[in-house]
Amino acid sequence: MSAMRVDAKVVMLGKESVGKTSLVERYVHHRFLVGPYQNTIGAAFVAKPIQVGEKVITLGIWDTAGSERYEAMSRIYYRGARAAIVCYDLTDGSSFQRARFWVKELQNCEEHCKIYLCGSKSDLISQDRSLRQIDYHDAQDFADEIGAQHFETSSKTGTNVDELFQKVAEDYNSNAFQEMKPEETSVDLSQKKDSYFYSCCHNN
Amino acid sequence: MEGDSQRASASWENGTLAPGEHLRSDRADSPLPGLVEGTEPGAGQKSAMFVHAQSFEDLTAEAEEEVRREAEINKSGDGEEELKVLVGEKEQHSSDMTSESRTKEEDVTSEAWRSHRKHVFVLSDAGKPIYTRYGTEEALSSTMGVMMALVSVVEAEKNIIRSIQADGCKVVFLTKSPLVLVGVSRTCQSDKELLRELHYIYYQIVSLLTLTQLNNIFKNKQNYDLRRLLAGSEYLTDNLLTRLERDPGLLLSAVTCLPLASSTRDTVSSSLQAAKSKNLVFSILLAGDRLVTLLRKKDQFLHHIDLHLVFNLVGSSSSFREGEGWTPICLPKFNTAGFFHAHISYLEPASELCLILVSTDREDFFNMSDCKKRFMERLSKRSAYPALKEALKSPTYSVEQVGIPELRHFLYKSKSSGLYTSPEFPDVYKSDCEQERLMGLYQDLHSSLHHPTRPLRYVYRCGDTENLLAWVTSGFELYLCFSPLGTKALAVAAVTKLLKWIRKEEDRLFILSPLTY
Ligand SMILES: Nc1nc2c(ncn2[C@@H]2O[C@H](COP(=O)(O)OP(=O)(O)OP(=O)(O)O)[C@@H](O)[C@H]2O)c(=O)[nH]1
Ligand SMILES: [Mg+2]
Repeated sequence: MSAMRVDAKVVMLGKESVGKTSLVERYVHHRFLVGPYQNTIGAAFVAKPIQVGEKVITLGIWDTAGSERYEAMSRIYYRGARAAIVCYDLTDGSSFQRARFWVKELQNCEEHCKIYLCGSKSDLISQDRSLRQIDYHDAQDFADEIGAQHFETSSKTGTNVDELFQKVAEDYNSNAFQEMKPEETSVDLSQKKDSYFYSCCHNN
Repeated sequence: MEGDSQRASASWENGTLAPGEHLRSDRADSPLPGLVEGTEPGAGQKSAMFVHAQSFEDLTAEAEEEVRREAEINKSGDGEEELKVLVGEKEQHSSDMTSESRTKEEDVTSEAWRSHRKHVFVLSDAGKPIYTRYGTEEALSSTMGVMMALVSVVEAEKNIIRSIQADGCKVVFLTKSPLVLVGVSRTCQSDKELLRELHYIYYQIVSLLTLTQLNNIFKNKQNYDLRRLLAGSEYLTDNLLTRLERDPGLLLSAVTCLPLASSTRDTVSSSLQAAKSKNLVFSILLAGDRLVTLLRKKDQFLHHIDLHLVFNLVGSSSSFREGEGWTPICLPKFNTAGFFHAHISYLEPASELCLILVSTDREDFFNMSDCKKRFMERLSKRSAYPALKEALKSPTYSVEQVGIPELRHFLYKSKSSGLYTSPEFPDVYKSDCEQERLMGLYQDLHSSLHHPTRPLRYVYRCGDTENLLAWVTSGFELYLCFSPLGTKALAVAAVTKLLKWIRKEEDRLFILSPLTY
């Protein structure tokens, strides 16, 4: 539960229905839920301890909603993140465009955030190759270009999922000596003096 | 029994609802409590839980304004032609009408599509489709174009189109720039009831976007396709429509509570009260669709419509089941301009208990998470927690407990607290179909009690399948359903008995001492 101390903030980004929630479900609860797709509302937070060598590192994972509706809100989720898992659906070309958008956004706003490019639903490809819309090498080239790690995962079978998060934790661990202040756990409210309500304008 | 009935009915028939001499302020002793607002069973002791408004009228008041300028088109040439396209002609109930799954793929030219009992469409001022309950928006773009044309034609003459009556079918319009909402119904609901439902749908959309954002979007781009922003939220609207058909709370503009010993509820409430934070405005603890407790910042009230939108959000989505949710939400009855931020989490993974902490600050996640932690720490040390979990096992009660012969079901709303109570549906009304039918009957009665020009104080209706009595005073609203064997005298006598029973049980069924922080 939230009682845990969080070492590294990790944010899941990507177009709706690419499988962000499923990835987190698979990794945290070791399961894949079948049944009608339930899109995430806003975002969900879960803390997950993970063993790295001798150490236990707690990842604070933010599973965001892909819907454009929450785009204006997305900053609060990725701000201060040490890692971003940017997901696209291997069977949906447009989701890769959206992934590019998030990468650009992160490069502009969160230079200390490491990016992990994740092509999801690889089980569908293994079943039927013709479903693949994003070439492995194209994605790999893009990953190299932006200095990101690249994974192809399946939450259904579990392929590569643990590996992905393990890599995130290890990278955090080996970079931790740089001693970046971990994400603040409380906000100094006295500093905030802007209006009572935050109104979200789509166009700003 | 005879005596009882005469005494009770006398005061209605001569129309005086002033409290009789026998009504003393002493709650527990008054034989016929609740004729005056604030003394009825279930009335809060200190203050109202919700916004203190004439809830139902509140919803339709604006529409009533428009009545004065209204233009009712009755079967006028063009309109009818188009209408046939829209609604078909056969009165035929499709078997899947109660199915909750979204019948998106449905062919909009099919008989099945036409024969749905209630269609709801949302479009933009520019006539762009935004939402349809059945079928896809794309397939309906020309139909929606026709609807918009109807609205515009009437508007051009400085009038507002309100409704169209066609054979066995009613079309109701609600213009809420930049949106237009259209309901097409084969039910016998009044225009006013349909309008009330359209308002709910309107607020549902506003709660996702804020009105400010909605206005900005359409100001910048009149032709904007709002479905882009609403993508993935359609099921919220779908579910809200189902709730409107089934949930008495939406009809009564009230919410119902989990029956709970008042000592337990008080401990839960005070634990929640202790877990406060600077920007925390409302703390809501739900057990399924029932309120366990609600705390609010002093002087801030939560409108029941906003609360129902929160219920709908939480109830429709399993996405809050794991971890902690953090989502912007606009509570349109509070303020249509901005977002609150809600921390949503279940107390335990498989639990029905869901805690919603509403903050004004979008950066407040960890503060809210901490509030929840403190609440849980406090609560789990106390015996109230196991007691609360025990109470979850019997979230309702059976009507037999009341001990009134032939009484099958009832709805009782305490007006001053905005809370209602109702037993579980008995076997005769267990099926979805029967439940909706009974709700339809209640809706009818509700319409009569709240008729815009000729409201009734009480109604007694005999039917083949049940007898119904409805009564409204300044303190409460009551709907009773008897078996067809019941008589009017019996029904009238039952009222007193029921009120006494509710009075006796009120500290279990209602939240009598709401807290603030
Ligand atoms: N075959 C297969 N289906 C998957 C996989 N991952 C996700 N899905 C399906 O894809 C749909 C969307 O998955 P979600 O995890 O809810 O997607 P999301 O990215 O969280 O979506 P939003 O919350 O709307 O942003 C669901 O129907 C999943 O069952 C996978 O690895 N294999
Ligand atoms: Mg999701």
